[in-house]
Amino acid sequence: MMEEKLLFQEISKVYGDGNTQVTALDHVTFGVQAGEFVAVVGPSGSGKSTFLSIAGALLSPSSGSLFLNGQDLTGLSSKQMTQVRLNHIGFIFQTSNLVPYLTVWDQLMLIAKLAKVDKKQAGEKADQLLSRLGLEKRKHHYPEALSGGERQRVAIARAWMNDPEIILADEPTASLDSQRGRTVVEMLSEEVHARKKAAIMVTHDERMLDLCDRVVNIMDGRLIEKTATA
Amino acid sequence: MFLAVREMKHSKLRYLLIGFIMTLITCLVFIISGLASGLSSDNGSSIQNMNADYLVLESDVDTRLDRSVLSEEILDEIQDLNVDAVPLGQQMTSVTRDGMDQKMDVTFFATDADGFLVPSVVKGKGLDAGHPGHVLVDEKLKREEGLKIGDVLKDEISGEKLKVAGFTEGQTFSHTPVIYITNEKWEKIQQGFSKKGKAVVNAIAIQGGEDTVDKVESSLENVEVVSKEEALESIPSYQAEQTSLNMMIAFLFVIAAFVLAVFFYVITLQKTQQFGVLKALGAKTGYLAGNLIGQVILLSVISIGMGVGCTFGIQNLFPEGIPFTISNQMLVQYSLLLLAVAVLGSLLSLFRVVKVDAIEAIGRVE
Repeated sequence: MMEEKLLFQEISKVYGDGNTQVTALDHVTFGVQAGEFVAVVGPSGSGKSTFLSIAGALLSPSSGSLFLNGQDLTGLSSKQMTQVRLNHIGFIFQTSNLVPYLTVWDQLMLIAKLAKVDKKQAGEKADQLLSRLGLEKRKHHYPEALSGGERQRVAIARAWMNDPEIILADEPTASLDSQRGRTVVEMLSEEVHARKKAAIMVTHDERMLDLCDRVVNIMDGRLIEKTATA
Repeated sequence: MFLAVREMKHSKLRYLLIGFIMTLITCLVFIISGLASGLSSDNGSSIQNMNADYLVLESDVDTRLDRSVLSEEILDEIQDLNVDAVPLGQQMTSVTRDGMDQKMDVTFFATDADGFLVPSVVKGKGLDAGHPGHVLVDEKLKREEGLKIGDVLKDEISGEKLKVAGFTEGQTFSHTPVIYITNEKWEKIQQGFSKKGKAVVNAIAIQGGEDTVDKVESSLENVEVVSKEEALESIPSYQAEQTSLNMMIAFLFVIAAFVLAVFFYVITLQKTQQFGVLKALGAKTGYLAGNLIGQVILLSVISIGMGVGCTFGIQNLFPEGIPFTISNQMLVQYSLLLLAVAVLGSLLSLFRVVKVDAIEAIGRVE
């Protein structure tokens, strides 16, 4: 049996109460295995962001339980959730969201600093990540000097810095043209497979789905599995 | 501080501008307080430097030295209580140098020639009971009017003649230089005023602590014992000068707090999403707050330091006559106060940082 990196068990998320109650996620059960790259697609308002926020320990579910690498995350305090995010989850956001006043190198070292990782060890890791993602020459550049594709690659490198169990990507290709977007997703996919980690990518870019192992459709808060289209 | 320093390095102009404003405010705070304390000592340094602990005044005169009138019997009564006490007569007047018409405003302080009120002499000789006509003059008259030892002064009101025996320093009252005279001379000068022909004094200076004050106040009627500070504040014009300057200083502190508060608040608002991202990546609120406070402290310390330097630079440009004194104690005190005010002003931004939710990072395009 394969190892479940992330497991949603009957998770619901309800916003508001009474007449204005909105169910963003409705009894979702879902798992991602090690080495699996899953795409989550759906129209806007379908609950994609809520899904990703819960998976990323940014939001607590209203009911149900969430397991990350076998650890139950239900009922953790916000401080404990921050710690979980820092040590086990890697984020890639829509527009890379790099810190504008940090160089590529410092972007990665910040994560190491937050996690209190040994500087030398972190440095080696950052070097390795940057060369894998073809960013060695951009080490001392600020985000403003990078192209959109490079920024997303830095974001990927940043996401791997803490050696997470799972990578969560929120429309990583939204601000890129299709060729660059594809390169970025390819890189992400390669890393996931090589490291035997898991990744969830929320997207509405249909062209990237062939790079994913599995595609899950989300509609009105419910998940519908689809087989990957070639 | 990892983020704080890097951000300041990256957005140099922004932080330079705000630092410049802080520097100017600091500089202004120190210049005004320097002037305030300069004026204060120019006004009443004779009281500030007085070698006494308390002054006994007539009650019901608003602690004003010039209004208080005490008879010599009171001095005897106080001395009978085993208290170190000497009389102090005070009279504002104008004098002319013998043979010249130019009038100079001065204040006479009359006391025992060998009493503890006589200030230390910087040049020449002090008071001498044997030579009642000899006087000890504040060196302001030497500096500004070119007075010399041996010059003879004439009191315009009584017509009494005084011989300059020596100079002292730091002795002014209500912005006029003080001339110390002997009791004997004082009696003669007073005869011009007092119809009874009997000398009176304005105050009795005493040395001692709280218990002495209690002793004097409980055994004598119609007198009031005031500290030197109270007597200083009662000099005409002293309150008016100090109050307006101190109000300016207080406003500057408020302005400094608000300028920094607004600056950091706007910057923090701008960075709301960035804080969300950092929190999502696992940065604790405390870490982000620490960086914000770090920036405020770093910026303030540098600006205040530059402000202090700037103050000393400007001080050298002042013309000679401007009273300006600034003590190290005041520098440290006001610098710390400015720093505290700056940190206080950043609390508003801190509140924002605490409130930012990591979820801001998801599903937003900017």
